[in-house]
Amino acid sequence: MPAEEDQTKQPRPRPRLIVLIASYLVSHSSIFSVVCCIAGLIAILLLPVLAKNTYISENALMPGSANPVFSGQDVSEAIRLVKDITEMRKMGKTTGIEIQRLIVQRMADVGGEAYYHKFQSQSNQFHPLRFFSCDSNLVLTKSGSNTSYGLNTVGIIHAPHGDGKEAIVLVTPYNGENVELNDALSLGLGFSIFSHLSHVSWLAKDIVWLAADARYGEYSSVSAWLKDYHNPVFFSSENVDANMQNTNMLNGRNADVFKRAGTMAAALVFKITEKMERDSRDSLNIYAEASNGQMPNLDLINVVHYLAVHRQGFRVTIGKIVYLVNSAWLNLVGQILEWSNKLAKSLNPKWNFGILSADYVEGVATLASSMYYQALGVPTGSHGAFRDYQVDAITFTFSPRFYLNNENVQSSFLLRGGRLIEGTIRSVNNLLEKFHQSFFLYMMTAPNKFVSVGVYMIGFALLALPLPVVAAALFLNQKATGTAGIQEAKIAFQSWKWLHAARVVLMIHLWALIASLMPYFISQISNLTATESMLLWVVGSISILLVLYMTLGSPYSRSGDVEWQTLKAVMIASVTIGLGLMSIINFATAQIGALLIVPLCLLVRPLKRHMQGALSLRVLSLVCNPILVVIGFPPAALVLVKGFSEGFGGVSIGTVWEVAEFLWAWNSATYLYVFLVHLPCWVLCIQILFHP
Amino acid sequence: MALTRRSYWAMAVGSLIFRLILICFSDDLNLGSRPEVATPVTSLRRLAEGYWLKNSSMSPYSGSMYHGSPLLLPVLGPLTIKRVEGLPSHLFCSSIFIIIDFITAMLIRATGHKLMSTNHQSLQRLNLSCVQETMGCTNVGDLASLIFLWNPFTLITCVGSSTSPIDNLMVVLAIYGACSGLPSLAAFGWVVATHLSLYPAILVIPVILLLGYGPDVPPSKLFLLGKSDDSGSDYPSDKTCSKQRSKEGSPVYLFSWRPALCFILWSLIWSSYIFFLSFISLKEFGGLSEMMKKTHGFILNVEDLSPNIGVFWYFFAEVFEFFRSFFLIVFHINILFMLVPLVIRLRHRPCFLAFVYIAIMSMLKSYPSVGDSALYLGLLGLFANELAEMRFPFFLLCGYFGISLLSPVMHNLWIWRGTGNANFYFATGIAYASLQTVLIVESVSTILKHDRMLRNKLTA
Repeated sequence: MPAEEDQTKQPRPRPRLIVLIASYLVSHSSIFSVVCCIAGLIAILLLPVLAKNTYISENALMPGSANPVFSGQDVSEAIRLVKDITEMRKMGKTTGIEIQRLIVQRMADVGGEAYYHKFQSQSNQFHPLRFFSCDSNLVLTKSGSNTSYGLNTVGIIHAPHGDGKEAIVLVTPYNGENVELNDALSLGLGFSIFSHLSHVSWLAKDIVWLAADARYGEYSSVSAWLKDYHNPVFFSSENVDANMQNTNMLNGRNADVFKRAGTMAAALVFKITEKMERDSRDSLNIYAEASNGQMPNLDLINVVHYLAVHRQGFRVTIGKIVYLVNSAWLNLVGQILEWSNKLAKSLNPKWNFGILSADYVEGVATLASSMYYQALGVPTGSHGAFRDYQVDAITFTFSPRFYLNNENVQSSFLLRGGRLIEGTIRSVNNLLEKFHQSFFLYMMTAPNKFVSVGVYMIGFALLALPLPVVAAALFLNQKATGTAGIQEAKIAFQSWKWLHAARVVLMIHLWALIASLMPYFISQISNLTATESMLLWVVGSISILLVLYMTLGSPYSRSGDVEWQTLKAVMIASVTIGLGLMSIINFATAQIGALLIVPLCLLVRPLKRHMQGALSLRVLSLVCNPILVVIGFPPAALVLVKGFSEGFGGVSIGTVWEVAEFLWAWNSATYLYVFLVHLPCWVLCIQILFHP
Repeated sequence: MALTRRSYWAMAVGSLIFRLILICFSDDLNLGSRPEVATPVTSLRRLAEGYWLKNSSMSPYSGSMYHGSPLLLPVLGPLTIKRVEGLPSHLFCSSIFIIIDFITAMLIRATGHKLMSTNHQSLQRLNLSCVQETMGCTNVGDLASLIFLWNPFTLITCVGSSTSPIDNLMVVLAIYGACSGLPSLAAFGWVVATHLSLYPAILVIPVILLLGYGPDVPPSKLFLLGKSDDSGSDYPSDKTCSKQRSKEGSPVYLFSWRPALCFILWSLIWSSYIFFLSFISLKEFGGLSEMMKKTHGFILNVEDLSPNIGVFWYFFAEVFEFFRSFFLIVFHINILFMLVPLVIRLRHRPCFLAFVYIAIMSMLKSYPSVGDSALYLGLLGLFANELAEMRFPFFLLCGYFGISLLSPVMHNLWIWRGTGNANFYFATGIAYASLQTVLIVESVSTILKHDRMLRNKLTA
């Protein structure tokens, strides 16, 4: 008999290894997902430890290899311009275009080509279907009576050794309406570099200096200039007429002249600010985040950082969230890490990772700020406008350690600032092709430390990995239990039963799409406060959801059709696709979103369902689900974050509307993520929770 | 699954209204410039350019812009330049495409009804009508046409100003004509489809089989088996299927030569007619040889290497000029290699064979677009009863959704942001091709399993 059994077993094909592993994972999905989630959280917390020191990847840059020749003479040029501007301000002539005229005069004096660039201020507002559209044919054709104009001044130096095909752009934003001392100093610095570069012999790329009139915001003036730079506009006669009134004021120069240098290799936006708190060293603050979490090439930041720290002795800082530095639990985590590092070191002296608690906390605070600004998808300065044209750009602000009106401080400070910018331009000038060597996808944990995509993806991947496994497990379990009881008769369409759940998921996504487009229509109604708009939005969304339930059928009407396991499986699949997509568009958003939504997705189950398993598990589920549901709801999460960071006093219903408007106006993909992935998932989770 | 007549028409009309709404936003959506929607062969923008060139008495093919048929120019050309103030630019063309989509859906529906009645008859002849009862019986025509009409791929192809709806209509016309035994109609569809996009030429095999044998039936062995069983001893009475003896011993598996010959004759007539018309329209611009070089030659030579969702562009952008012709042959012969094995295995189901051919075609085309997928996904609905037990349908659906969202994102990352590169976009192309492979393999194996199941039922 045993021999016979062996024979019957023999021909049975052994399943392949990959199938075995997959089925093993699926059958142990709950343990697997718990392990993965915890590992993912730990990986995210360890990111500051895993950060690497920055290094200059492109050999051609050679920062600091040449001695800077920016001298006291150039500084005196700057001081002269600053004095002229301050005198103008004293005489009360700064509201018009005197400053612009002065700058153009000076630019022409040192031999640069100078022109005015007039632009229309465009208010950011809701506009439909413009996400990701890089189509620049969509010119704003609104010509209302309340249009206001700003006036940029642009100077170009043509390189003696160049072919005029490449350019480096310097931008100094200043407030054209009310020029403060720091604005005047920024202009002075910009001009002194411009005049210095006009007589150097090593220049191989043209230099464009844009003195951006920031009276309607830094970003809009720079982006308007960039748009005109890249898309030639042909003036019709009407436009010329409208410009005529200004022409005589502009020294007879035609405002329609637009000159160009070559394609932009890099852009540096710099300004001088007065610092509130005093420090032992002059500091340099770097901003790099552009729209939708895009970053400039890391080499550009490295060059500036290297020159600032090792040549000019600045203290370089990048943004960090101060709230986190003081938080107790983070300090505790830091101490645990430090202690475990010590333990490891005592076991084996080679295991020395050099983790210090204070460093760790600093790293987390900086990383959090880096992630926050990337996730927000809104550029942190006017450098963001360059990234839309694939130009690498950063903003840096100088803040001196003493008060700005001290003249001795001014000149030494300007000298060092000028040398830093000269050195950076010299490095970029060496480039043979555009920045491509170093990273584009990274997050900073310190000015000289970064986490690259290969490292920070691990945490996200570990968080997202349980999703497909759990979906498969739910799907297969459902299939197994479904077919076991029912006769052969209905096998055929048994495997298609998930279509009902898919229909529910599709309906919710349709609702989310409509709800996400509603603010555009609400914003068309004038004279609404933020709170009223928000209430209108909420009421509209809920009524549309009810209408959809009525027309397409609610998920509870035929509860036999839609099993909650299938619904959960389909929901998890859709969330997986959404998170995967978002991790490519804007990683930081996906990371934060995954932290909020993955535990909810994995834990959610009907409240009414009698739960098998231990009492502790039941209690855990009962406690966790409501908390996760509250945190997972985007407006609630927003209000909580706002409340903890700025105090609950300023938080109202209108805040949500304002944030939504802000994200929409900046074309942030985060808006799309929240409404097309996060919100539908949350609604489906609620449906599963209240499943009968 | 059962659809009442009213709800069917409501959904069909709803899809048309939805298309109209989408067309109002077509300028904002700007789908015509997406590589997934409009290929160099099917782009309506290029057609407008060709029409303009021809109107200024130049060859429409000069400047390597237009690569479509010269016969489309007088049909669609005047509509491309007609504009209404305040409405999207390609309004008239898009409305034509809506009508074409509707006709295609109706033809698919009629084909589905034909298939269903044939299937019913053949199962009755095999005394297996119980199979239909147990398996459930979907009205495949309605289902397939609704899938076709509501498929997002069809929707964006219709809105996205590309001429693939016309190609699809012609392919469906050929299949419908063959299914309903109309050699002239089948020949017309086949000839025009081949003229427009070359690849449908391989559909000649399923079309002739359809005309010769009629629509899909279970394998011929089953009928013989059924008959030999008839002559044998009585069945045990506790059969799951109660078999009624049907005494009509009509020959079920005979190739009727007449319609096939008719088809060949008609295709000769139609193709000479098409050539004649093309010749007239291109008389001054180099004639037919120029047309063949710029349309079919363009498709075969893969001259345009701009990225699309296929697998050709990436390879031929890399390959050395020296090996180019060799690899062109290798890539194109890929399709031809699969023809014979498939026809041997699936000759009793010519309609399904046509579906498989179309799916393979859209995978291995030199300039594929989502419009091609729209066609085979619509036809997939025709075999819903046989494919009910297909494996991984959920995985396939998620895959299609994921890939179709991922592809534009990767394209954006590469072209606009500059942080990605060509490999990112090509990866989605590879994933898309493998997804289609899984679909084809699974559907073919499910059909074979279905046939095996029928045989088991018959012999058990």
